[in-house]
Amino acid sequence: MTRFEHVYVLNVMSDDHPGIVAAVTSAVEALGGNIDACSQTVLGGYFTLTMIVSLPDDVEPGHLAEQVRRGGPDFQVMARRALLPDRFVPRAAVDRFVITAFGQDQPGIVRRFSEYLAGKDINIVDLYGDRRGDEFVLIGQLEVPTSWDVRMFQADLEHMGQELGFTVKLQHENVFVATNQLRLPAATQAVQG
Amino acid sequence: MLRTDEILSTIEMLHAEHLDVRAVTLALNVNDCAAPSADHVCRKLHGKIVSRASRLVEVCNRVGAKYGIPVVNKRLAISPAATLLAGHGHAAAVQVAKTLDAAAAACGVDFVGGFSALVHKGITPADAVVMNSLPDVLSQTEKVCASVNVASRKAGINVDAIHQMGHVILKIAQATAARRGFGCAKLVVFANIPEDNPFMAGAYMGAGEPEATVNIGVSGPGVVGSALKRRLSREKNLTLGDLAEEIKITSFRVTRVGELIGREVAAELKVAFGIVDLSLAPTPQVGDSVGEILRTLGISRIGAPGSTAALALLNDAVKKGGLFASSSVGGLSGAFIPVSEDAALAEAVGAGHLVLEKLEAMTAVCSVGLDMIAVPGDTPAETIAAIIADEMAIGVFNDKTTAVRIIPVPGAKAGDRVDFGGLFGSSPVLEVRNAGASEAFIHFGGRIPAPLQSLGN
Repeated sequence: MTRFEHVYVLNVMSDDHPGIVAAVTSAVEALGGNIDACSQTVLGGYFTLTMIVSLPDDVEPGHLAEQVRRGGPDFQVMARRALLPDRFVPRAAVDRFVITAFGQDQPGIVRRFSEYLAGKDINIVDLYGDRRGDEFVLIGQLEVPTSWDVRMFQADLEHMGQELGFTVKLQHENVFVATNQLRLPAATQAVQG
Repeated sequence: MLRTDEILSTIEMLHAEHLDVRAVTLALNVNDCAAPSADHVCRKLHGKIVSRASRLVEVCNRVGAKYGIPVVNKRLAISPAATLLAGHGHAAAVQVAKTLDAAAAACGVDFVGGFSALVHKGITPADAVVMNSLPDVLSQTEKVCASVNVASRKAGINVDAIHQMGHVILKIAQATAARRGFGCAKLVVFANIPEDNPFMAGAYMGAGEPEATVNIGVSGPGVVGSALKRRLSREKNLTLGDLAEEIKITSFRVTRVGELIGREVAAELKVAFGIVDLSLAPTPQVGDSVGEILRTLGISRIGAPGSTAALALLNDAVKKGGLFASSSVGGLSGAFIPVSEDAALAEAVGAGHLVLEKLEAMTAVCSVGLDMIAVPGDTPAETIAAIIADEMAIGVFNDKTTAVRIIPVPGAKAGDRVDFGGLFGSSPVLEVRNAGASEAFIHFGGRIPAPLQSLGN
């Protein structure tokens, strides 16, 4: 639930340096707006920011983008009206899995895996890729419909990995939660003796 | 949302270090299978095991695949066979063992434990049936594992039972002479046997446990060894305290994987989740060795002075990490030093660095005891009993579990090499010094009284 009625998705890209978030949020505040959600990352020296912004008054997305662009000469800004929550098509029940792939870097790795996932209606909710020396590491956090047998995907992905010379694993996210975080993932239904 | 560095560090542990779940053991209470006729007992026993455990292997494989962590061994453990055999004789005992063997095969598991007797204070007729049937049982079945508890912190040490086991062990070795006495590898003699141990050959379901429960043995020493080597390759000037910390962190993560999978397997089988056993259980595979961890900790010849201290550090750090990771820690939960199953330990024995007496000292600071020890086949029963008595004393007087799994190899002498195959590995036969010199002590018989619980120095 956003604070104000008029909701926008705001995307900002820039060379990374201190003060970008301050400049963007000042522009939003000047319009009387509120930041309802945001996510920022720096990749290869480039800053990218995505925000859900709500405003009390209806303004054109172009006007919002222009206000933000004034915050920095190198800002590339896009703004669009956000879909209302009821406009999203409800998805089937999903479970969270993580795909990891390692191997000799070559063009087309991300495309091959993402095309396969798209063909199976598997949504990528977070993606990380990094070239280290000649190696490429790909990590994707996925929403897999619970109706699928995950062992079939694992076999397909491992086979695809072998063709590309990549080691590929698809694992439920709870194994990463369990091994890194203090609390165990929400318990499966326990049976008492 | 998970962080990338979290995913990467787990992946490193899973893929580079071969993390697995070592054992998922479904424990079943079978006391309700008791009946006046042996045929009836066996029908009920087979029916109950197959109905409760037939899905175990499939569920373990599916849950393991979901998390990308293989479950290496799937096993069964039952409540002590001695209870089931009350009022029956030798033939019934062998028939029950063969039924267990067949039921385990039908379920696709590799072992079934619990052909057991608890005799720490005295031997009932049914206990005697179980103990005396072991040469036939362990030579005529493949998957049945046996255990006998001969000592406890409250009862003391039953030397009569130990003496009897000395003779039984020699008979088992003779009955399986064609396999170098291999039957003895499926028998463990315990002090303070844990009720919820998932590891073979000592797994059984003890008193106070639920009707059915899933117990988990977590990954082996390879993961801990790799974590230590990685830390040492990245940092200089590390102290033993730093290395203990690294073991602790690794143990935390390994335990979490075990509990995650154990809880899910238990839920799918609709039985209670029991415990995670933190034990580091080596396999003969290179790299999956407690001995190699000792080498990484700076003991270049295993058995050299410092070996006991290094093992104590390892054992304690594993427990501390595991205890924080799970509120359901149980079983043996320590480092195992089974000689033939650990390539580095077997090598140290072969090189003359590691001897029986040093192994015994090391068992004072780890679990589980003198494990997979091959000795000359002509070792007297009283000497085998005395070796057991020494190990039981370490357990009872230090308030811990200890055990002996000793194999008098027929026809072999010290230094000969024996190969038991598969996970049981191979080892040189250890020298037993002063064999025959404990006869009078064992012949006194009776019970060594339970120790004082205070003034604990």
